[in-house]
Amino acid sequence: MGIPNIISISVNRVLRTERCFRFAVKVLLVLLGMTLTTRAADWSGPEQQLARKIVAATGPGAVAVTFENRSSLGKRENEIVQNGLRSALESLGIRFVKVEQAAATVVISLSENAASYVWVGEIRQGTGEVAVVMVSAPRAEGLTAIRDSVPLSLRKIPLWTQENPILDVAVLEEGATPTHIAVLDPETASLYRMQGGKWQQEQTLAIVHARPWPRDLRGRLIPARDHLLDIYLPGVICHSTASVPLTLNCSESDDPWPLLSGPLVSGTLNGGTLSVFPSAGLGNGASTVVPQISAFFAPTRNFFTGVLTPGVGKFTTVPKFYSAALLPREKYTLWIFAATDGQVYLVDGANDQAVRLGWGSDLGSVKTECGAGWQVLATNSGDAAGDSVRAYEFPDRDPVAVSAAVDFSGPVTALWTEARGDASVVVARNRDTGSYEAFRLAVVCSR
Amino acid sequence: MRLFDWRWFVVGSALAVTMAAKAETRPQYGGTLHVAMRAAPASLDPADNSQPDSLARRSLTMLIFDTLVTTDDNGRVLASLAASWQVSPGNRWQFRLRRGVRFHDGTPLTAEIAADSLRAANPAWNVATDGDTVVIERGGAGPELLAELARARNAIAKRNADATPGGTGPFHIVDWQPGKKLTVAAEEGYWRGRPFLDEIEIEMGRSFRDQTIALELGKADLVEVAPEQVHRISLEARRPSSSLPIELLALVFSRDANSADDKMLREALALSVERGSIRSVLLQGTGQPAASILPNWMSGYGFVFPSDADLARARHAREQVREIPRWTVAYDGSDPVARLLAERIALNARDAGLSLQPTAPSATATAADLRLVRIPLASGDPWIALADIAALSGAPPAKPKNSSVEELYAAEQSMLATQRVIPLFHLPVSYAASSNLKNWTTRSDGTWSLADSWLGSGKP
Repeated sequence: MGIPNIISISVNRVLRTERCFRFAVKVLLVLLGMTLTTRAADWSGPEQQLARKIVAATGPGAVAVTFENRSSLGKRENEIVQNGLRSALESLGIRFVKVEQAAATVVISLSENAASYVWVGEIRQGTGEVAVVMVSAPRAEGLTAIRDSVPLSLRKIPLWTQENPILDVAVLEEGATPTHIAVLDPETASLYRMQGGKWQQEQTLAIVHARPWPRDLRGRLIPARDHLLDIYLPGVICHSTASVPLTLNCSESDDPWPLLSGPLVSGTLNGGTLSVFPSAGLGNGASTVVPQISAFFAPTRNFFTGVLTPGVGKFTTVPKFYSAALLPREKYTLWIFAATDGQVYLVDGANDQAVRLGWGSDLGSVKTECGAGWQVLATNSGDAAGDSVRAYEFPDRDPVAVSAAVDFSGPVTALWTEARGDASVVVARNRDTGSYEAFRLAVVCSR
Repeated sequence: MRLFDWRWFVVGSALAVTMAAKAETRPQYGGTLHVAMRAAPASLDPADNSQPDSLARRSLTMLIFDTLVTTDDNGRVLASLAASWQVSPGNRWQFRLRRGVRFHDGTPLTAEIAADSLRAANPAWNVATDGDTVVIERGGAGPELLAELARARNAIAKRNADATPGGTGPFHIVDWQPGKKLTVAAEEGYWRGRPFLDEIEIEMGRSFRDQTIALELGKADLVEVAPEQVHRISLEARRPSSSLPIELLALVFSRDANSADDKMLREALALSVERGSIRSVLLQGTGQPAASILPNWMSGYGFVFPSDADLARARHAREQVREIPRWTVAYDGSDPVARLLAERIALNARDAGLSLQPTAPSATATAADLRLVRIPLASGDPWIALADIAALSGAPPAKPKNSSVEELYAAEQSMLATQRVIPLFHLPVSYAASSNLKNWTTRSDGTWSLADSWLGSGKP
């Protein structure tokens, strides 16, 4: 008796498991269907229109229909449209048959022009002339495809996307992920807060400037200690008030831009030295003491003039440069400047050295718990369709690549080290969509 | 003793390779760009209709002048000198001008100057001012006004006493030798930001061959490339860049078809041209065979007009006619491939039993029965492009009612039915640049944009 009972229980369990499995599969399919449905554009309007025009020419009856996709519609959308058109034609009395049995043949081409999709029906009945009917369908707004980051040493975390150029993004608050950010574009600084899983705009502040901005405009958002933000733009500096709702006070200024950003640890200003990146490294919380340096930015150009204050050791000027990074050493700090002449200058206070590394114009340093503890993130060079960023270490004066390159879908337009110091904000212009995409680029220890 | 570390060797080798690449990605200010072009405009006035329209002329215009609005590659309208606009019932358009914009001579941009400029370009328009706004009233339906205003010919110019037009564009004129040479310099206070380049020197009236030589010798940074040379240039890795097909190569009759026989013969000619083999051999694979006026990327339906030769139908059509006239076809003598194209078309026509005589241009050109022409499409807006071709060919203008794609198709079909134009190819316009020139772009309308370009070797 025991055995059948066991079998019965087992069978029941199997059946229950199978029912559960089927239920789960159905739920998944429904969810998948919902996802597909919500993601797909609604083509029913133009499908019905084209079907009506075709049937007006052929009348209801036996018709041979073929489809050609001459547009950029993907395979799935193509199938959705074809199925929709078939349904619409069937509902109007069309019966699909082979060419030999058809009273009319219809070639439906899914085409497109610069502004919209164009669906064309070419109708042949007997030996008569071809009748052409067509409709246009608005293009679906494409979802911005964000490629997964390469899970090696550099992790690319999307922060913000918009059509206007993004000059910088500052993460003001975060838990596991950023929850409060500021986005700088040429005319505004906007604050966004994550609420209910979505970014909600909190405030937008206009940036007042009298002169036209230079091309290849650059700008920095730097969190401040006694107020929320400072904004540095060519020839203009803005200071925010301390709390929301903020006001922004902008004025023409040639004051230098700090090369190190971040809410510096209180009371660390001591004889010209500052603790930088106190939150970086996460583990021991130790900060690194290096001299704070600022640099003058050319008010009508896209580069730093090379004049430093207070200077790196004996060097108060370096060649004009686009960006800078630092690598603290035991007894000195090595500064690395991406100069406008395409060379990289290494300055340690006593010596300088120009090298050609094949890097791009943008670099920044990060302090992490990986490898030597400090890495330089640098863009690549050349005319490739998209840029990439790679991490390097400098055991001595020669860089060693320590990560795989992380690709971006267009040119990198900004790379600034975040205030927390262990990551950078990278902005790239997506070549396909034209939008500007800001990412946090974090170094992840792979071993 | 420290052993040789192979990891360092690998890294060092990799760095050596990358060092060979250019180490610059952010734009650099400075330098003089040298451009060569085939067109030789005698005037820089955007509204001067006595000058032939060309993509090169449009490119020059947009260096010096701005339009009220611009369009992007998807045809979306963007604000330019007009910061905003609104349309009221009765097709009354009001454009509010951007504040703080100045002409190169320092004169502020005003609504009056803008209105004067638009009136000069479009005498038939009703243009007025209302405070700091320009008001355009257009009775009845017509091509989209915003796309029309984005055309180079509608760029805003201040006409000075010495007849030189002044602009608000990214570059101002330094030296102008009509039809020969133009030098422009960066406008420091340009409202969109100073261009990266300091100067641009443009040599005009240079043949394609001369331009290619100038590029090879490093005397030019940006040159035009003839369609049939694109393939060769790309094999030589000289970075050719081509637009979408934006020029229509067509046979245009000088008069309407005046009889049934005439119509039959024109149909025979259209059916006889072997566009596929002409493209392969004479155009070296460049361009799209076309039987439509508008390219498919503009209309979306271009493929429904069959462009394959059909000699049987051509002969059949020709056989319906007793007397075959001897047509003359004129071609552009300065275009080396035009003669070959005309001769090849004449050969195809002969196969169909027609008589076509290519003739050298100049004096006889006006008397020719047909012209083999390259027509730059006027705009990325299909209605404007169609209306422009109609005006050039003498066909009745297209008048949209609701601007639907089906209406566009009907308008194009009726224009083709007049048989004034036999479309042959849609050609892209192609350029080649030196490796120094960065970030230069060919707009969808075939013009080049240099305001954001920079020279890699320039000094900031």
